[in-house]
Amino acid sequence: MTEEFEPKIVAFLCKWCSSAGSDLAGVSRMEYPSNVIPIQVLCSGSVSPLYILSAFNKGADGVLVSGCHPGDCHYIKGNYYSRRRIALLKELLNFIGLEPERFKMSWVSAAEGTKYTEVIKEFVDELKPLGAQTKLRRNG
Amino acid sequence: MVALEDLKQEAKNVLEGGTVKYIIGYKKPAVGFMAVPAFFHKPEDLDALVWDPTCVHNLVLFLKDEKKKKLGQKEPDERPVGIVVKGCDSRAVNVLLQENYIDRENVYILGVSCGKTGMVDLKKVRKYFKGKIISQIDFNENESFTVTTTEGKVEVPAADIFAVRCTECITASPVIHDVLLGGDSVRTPENPFGSLEEMESKSQGQKWDFWQEQLTKCIRCYACRSICPMCYCDECVVDTINFAVYPDTPAEEKAQKIKWVEKSPTTSENFIYHMVRAIHLAGRCVDCAECERACPMDIPLRFLNKKLEKESKKLFDYDVGYDTEIPSLISSFRDEDPEDFIR
Repeated sequence: MTEEFEPKIVAFLCKWCSSAGSDLAGVSRMEYPSNVIPIQVLCSGSVSPLYILSAFNKGADGVLVSGCHPGDCHYIKGNYYSRRRIALLKELLNFIGLEPERFKMSWVSAAEGTKYTEVIKEFVDELKPLGAQTKLRRNG
Repeated sequence: MVALEDLKQEAKNVLEGGTVKYIIGYKKPAVGFMAVPAFFHKPEDLDALVWDPTCVHNLVLFLKDEKKKKLGQKEPDERPVGIVVKGCDSRAVNVLLQENYIDRENVYILGVSCGKTGMVDLKKVRKYFKGKIISQIDFNENESFTVTTTEGKVEVPAADIFAVRCTECITASPVIHDVLLGGDSVRTPENPFGSLEEMESKSQGQKWDFWQEQLTKCIRCYACRSICPMCYCDECVVDTINFAVYPDTPAEEKAQKIKWVEKSPTTSENFIYHMVRAIHLAGRCVDCAECERACPMDIPLRFLNKKLEKESKKLFDYDVGYDTEIPSLISSFRDEDPEDFIR
């Protein structure tokens, strides 16, 4: 039997909401796939498109950026900036031919542990049929 | 149509009067027929000034050099620099003003209108006039150019030899100027983003194949970056100039250095470089297509920037280079920005 492909996901989680949300999922003993490598950032607005490209470059099969719901940002408007920037990057990645499923953004609040597990489950399910990401990956 | 004599006269007036330090314009090249950028310091030099459809360069690039030069001078000459700008270039000036990179007092803008046509594309001209020696290309009142070759003058429909970007241009006359020559000319292209359509209709696999073929060619000479009037950062994120590695640099120190993009021109690194550049130019690129012209490997770089221009128009209703008072694209937001892609 061949082993099933396990995608590697890099998740940029905002410290105030999504990261706390993932913590909640953890302390509540909710089960979700272990494919995620979480990276805590201070705000989703601090995620430079270069971080995302770099994650793909260094071998991520999927990248998730997660922040507070609009209006809930700890820094008032960081997630609005992020929304705009990510929309542009998403279009660009789509334009050069990367599968659009590989890049996701979500709003997860500190209370939404369940939503966090759902987002990850869905993401892993979407990535599995796509296989490994080799397009932007650095060779060697 | 701009009368060259008027342009010369306007330039002469400001240069003789001492209003400007010098004038950046175009002159005839020593070889060939494509005009080259020129710096006019004395009024008598201005006889060499030209304005024709071969003035493809975006001279706003030289405002960057001027600023850097001035920073190094103890007592800089504070007079403005005169600059000849086309419609697209004037928007580049606007973006630099919007970003407070230059002040309005630093430039004296001699705006020239492209009229009904635009700039020629050297590759198209070469293909059209295979092997013939061209000495001059001129604007006409209608949508055509007069091309003078060794075999005489020919009238060529503009559509045959002018640059693709000019077919999608909506600002044929400068939006910011101290003097405007050639009058206002309004253009309404049928489809301002027409060149992208073929690309967008392809499947993901085809798109990838196309870009892989194109970007593998890149030799990372950074000509696109050097010629871009918007790429004015002192240190570029893809250059690790203050992270120099010497033979005796310890391994721990090397490990701590962030290397976003490797210098080697491999496909994956080329992708990251060009995408970072495209993102950095989102909402700033005025589609002067100088990157594409300067590219020695003929990579259609304009596409990447045009795509983001299209998206910023479609998603955020943002026009580049018209208003210097509004905040830039990625340093602003609206409540109604689309978020249907967000889970």
